[in-house]
Amino acid sequence: MKKTLALLLAVLMIVGVFAGCGDKKVDKPADGTTGNNPPAVKNENKVIVGSTTDLAGDFRWPGFGGSSAGAADQDVNGLIVGYATMETNQGGAYVWNDTAVKAHSETEDENGNLVITIEINPGLKFSDGTEIKAVNYIASILAFSTNVSVQAGHTGRSGQAFVGFDSFNAYDGEEAEGATKEFAGIRLLDEYTFSMTVKAPDYYPYYFANTYGAVSPQALGLVLGEGVEVKDDGNGAYLTEAWYEKDAEGAFVKAAHLEAARYDWNTYPVSGPYYISDWDDSTKIATLTINPEFTGNFEGQKPSIKTIVYTKIVQETQLDQFKTGQIDILSGITGGDDTKAALAAVDESEGKFDEVHYQRAGYGKLQFECDFGPTMFASVRKAVAYVLNTSEFAEAFTGGYGTVVYGPYSPDFDMWVAVEDEINLIDYSFSVENAKQALIDGGWIYNETGAEFVEGTDTVRYKKLTAEEATDVNINYASVANTDGKEYKTVKVGDDYYMPCVINWFGTTNNNVTDMLGARLVGTENVAAIGMVVRSTTGDFDKLQGEIYRETSYGYGGTPTFGMFNLATGWNSSVYDYAFNWSLDPIYFGYSANKLFDEYDVAFPYYAADGSHTKMSYDEAMAASGNKLGMDYLSMAMVYDAANVDEYNQWWMAYIERWNDLMPDIPLYSNYYFDVYNAKIENFQTSPFWGPTDALLYCTIANAE
Amino acid sequence: MGKYILKRLGYVLVVFLILSLLMYLVYAMIPYDRARAEVEKFKEVYKNDPVGFENKYQEMRKDMGLDKNVFVRYLGWIGVVPINGEYQGLLWGDFGYSYEKDMPAQKVLVEPMKNTIFINIFATVLALGITIPLGIFCAVKRGSKRDTLVQVGTIIGYSIPTFVTAILFIWLFAIVLRWFPVSGMKTAGAEFTGTRALLDELYHMALPLIVMTFCSLGGMTRYVRASMTEALSMDCIRTARAKGLREKVVVYSHAFRNALIPIITLVIGWFLGIFSGSIMIENIFGLNGMGRVYIESLNAKDFEVVLLLQMFYVIIGLLGNLIIDIAYGIADPRVRVNK
Repeated sequence: MKKTLALLLAVLMIVGVFAGCGDKKVDKPADGTTGNNPPAVKNENKVIVGSTTDLAGDFRWPGFGGSSAGAADQDVNGLIVGYATMETNQGGAYVWNDTAVKAHSETEDENGNLVITIEINPGLKFSDGTEIKAVNYIASILAFSTNVSVQAGHTGRSGQAFVGFDSFNAYDGEEAEGATKEFAGIRLLDEYTFSMTVKAPDYYPYYFANTYGAVSPQALGLVLGEGVEVKDDGNGAYLTEAWYEKDAEGAFVKAAHLEAARYDWNTYPVSGPYYISDWDDSTKIATLTINPEFTGNFEGQKPSIKTIVYTKIVQETQLDQFKTGQIDILSGITGGDDTKAALAAVDESEGKFDEVHYQRAGYGKLQFECDFGPTMFASVRKAVAYVLNTSEFAEAFTGGYGTVVYGPYSPDFDMWVAVEDEINLIDYSFSVENAKQALIDGGWIYNETGAEFVEGTDTVRYKKLTAEEATDVNINYASVANTDGKEYKTVKVGDDYYMPCVINWFGTTNNNVTDMLGARLVGTENVAAIGMVVRSTTGDFDKLQGEIYRETSYGYGGTPTFGMFNLATGWNSSVYDYAFNWSLDPIYFGYSANKLFDEYDVAFPYYAADGSHTKMSYDEAMAASGNKLGMDYLSMAMVYDAANVDEYNQWWMAYIERWNDLMPDIPLYSNYYFDVYNAKIENFQTSPFWGPTDALLYCTIANAE
Repeated sequence: MGKYILKRLGYVLVVFLILSLLMYLVYAMIPYDRARAEVEKFKEVYKNDPVGFENKYQEMRKDMGLDKNVFVRYLGWIGVVPINGEYQGLLWGDFGYSYEKDMPAQKVLVEPMKNTIFINIFATVLALGITIPLGIFCAVKRGSKRDTLVQVGTIIGYSIPTFVTAILFIWLFAIVLRWFPVSGMKTAGAEFTGTRALLDELYHMALPLIVMTFCSLGGMTRYVRASMTEALSMDCIRTARAKGLREKVVVYSHAFRNALIPIITLVIGWFLGIFSGSIMIENIFGLNGMGRVYIESLNAKDFEVVLLLQMFYVIIGLLGNLIIDIAYGIADPRVRVNK
């Protein structure tokens, strides 16, 4: 008995030792709102941001080298890089940064190119006090347009939109035909002025062409290493010979510098509101300290929070970490259960926590393949839209914290706000009758014998294929995943082919959306009532991608099988450009997620057969096409023909309306995102385009030390 | 003995080569194209240049050696044939590349390995420190109420899945009692150094450590108990007792030595296991360890990292078996390993 008691005591002692450590630590949180102790009067001027994405230490140019850019690394990058000539505002639009830019002009040269000339304000400084000059803005464009950067894993195409890129890119340090050491389109005009010439016609005219003027300053040592200078003798800016130095094996010496600099967080100064004062690769925690040299963002806003800590959190227990004071900000909470739990935490906190929410700039969707099978017909896509009760689905999936949109837009877009009262969209509210009618209008009026479809007797509608529609894929079309043992396939009756209204749908596993869609589409009464069948197959995301992009290396079998997928889409800014996504030219196939070839575009294409395009105003184009402008035309004209915001909005509205009519996707839900935060943080306002790290620039800490 | 070890090392090499070929083939068979995944990231850059995009893809395939036969690629991975005119691979100190992390595969594993070893050493020592005495105690007091109590406790502990235990402990110790942090490896933003930093790290490691220890108590305790029970029923033990030896001497010098053989297998296995992370524990507690890297790499199809990890565990496993065999000989002179 004594021994048992001793053993118990020993265990208790061990626990006590740890608990002792624990008590000390729980006292530590800066805000004083956590643990068992009463709130402290003063709050430490520090914020801890939790991220479910791992920090990788790739803070200098995350993703720029071609690797996947982690969201957390990008956030840290956003805090250490400042004074960009253009920055995105709260609405996601690019605006000139008057804090950094003294003057700017956009003019056309004699060749029709766009010359963007920028003069920066003198006196801007990096975190180490060295002055920021024009060279700091153009050094990275030059460096990342050379093969030295390619050897370091980058694309080497940073300056591809500018005049003279090809010859500059071809230069490897030695004179050669077609290669020049100067980048003609990039000019270093004086200490504080530089210009960039956007190449026509490939990149200009282009509605967002001025965004090519968005560049950020970088420390020369970071980008170029030692011994390299940026010069301009009148023919264009260039990098001195040391940049192109090669070792005995012919490899660029500076490539190794670029690779090393990418993860070097503390050798080189930064231009943003914060600098990284500590980075722990082992625990994945980054600590950022206020940069006293930073004079403000595009609104002249300077930070006041002294320290921002970025730390990895675990999704499953993130709310507990927040409630116990391990983190101060938990962002991007969505989904019914998580949102309810987060809001309950706020409600029960008696003012210690607060929340801010916004509608996501994006949506979950059903995406269709529009070049084969039943889903190549708009009538089928519309029927699915009608028969799937998207309002109910959104309600169920988001727990009431989401809405339904009927087109590819965010209600937060400026263009949506501009056309909201004017735009005419089809309302695809749940209606079995409308779904049925859409199929009837689309010619789905036969049964498998080629006779007329009789409701109550026949189960699946068939459509007679025209000669053009009777492609090899379509005449061999068949349902898969026939768990009930019944296979539907295109049948030949006489000389005609009849395709069944049976959709092969592919969804990813471990996905609530897949499960919920299955419950609403597969074998349900409503779907059966319209004479349609949906067959479900699940698999991993790579398989899904393989089927969409028809990549055999991703498991695609060589014949398109699935006509419907569930996915999500979103926007990081309001730069809305879908040019080439609906092209009829097979060379752009890889950019077309839906493979929708709009019949209107066949009749009235954007490019004539000889490759030329006659620029027309919206009204002229509408008149010329007989009010039938297709997706390709509209998406191209929107960015290449619009000269001002009104014209852009007009094209945009027509594009959304056409999209809404063709329904290449069905938006399922546009959910709300909730950011919960410790109420010691004042003035915390986020938006779809304005994340916590942007918002923190405007925040203060209540009762800060 | 030396000859025996050399012979076994030869076997290790052969088994390694066979397993590495099999593993390499398995990953090559998975329908996934790393070059395609990488080039997709450049899609926007090549938006106006689809031909350039395709060329870039082909260039990447060539750079990664994907244009070659899978057996050539395997030999290149080992380092016996050149890929793109250059010898690389294991024999040349090139252990592969993590395309997800954009760094050499071995670099991806350094920090997680340190963390895993750090926590596993504590967990192993703590678990062995509790289970061996407890197992012996139960065997000696077999059939007593205390033994029954421990048996019931260990069977419950053994039956509960790790993730359930982890969640229960988080709820109790981190959320209700707030003795420990919910997850993480150190206090975010704290500027501790020296002993204070170590204590902070231990404080964060405490809860996962307790969970790991708790979850391993059942199995080992029951194993030691069974071995000791068997040993205590041997004739030599009866003889020892008949000789009038003290009970402590009988138990610890005679019985425990006889019980060691099966226990050694487990104990050495545990110590070798300090290199392998717990996928469940590390994910639940947000620890940057080998288990998490393993599952993340698998999910991201970062197969060169996964392959390196698995080959490392193959080596550890094979060498572990050798060590166990040698240890048998040391623990029990009747076992001869030099043939």
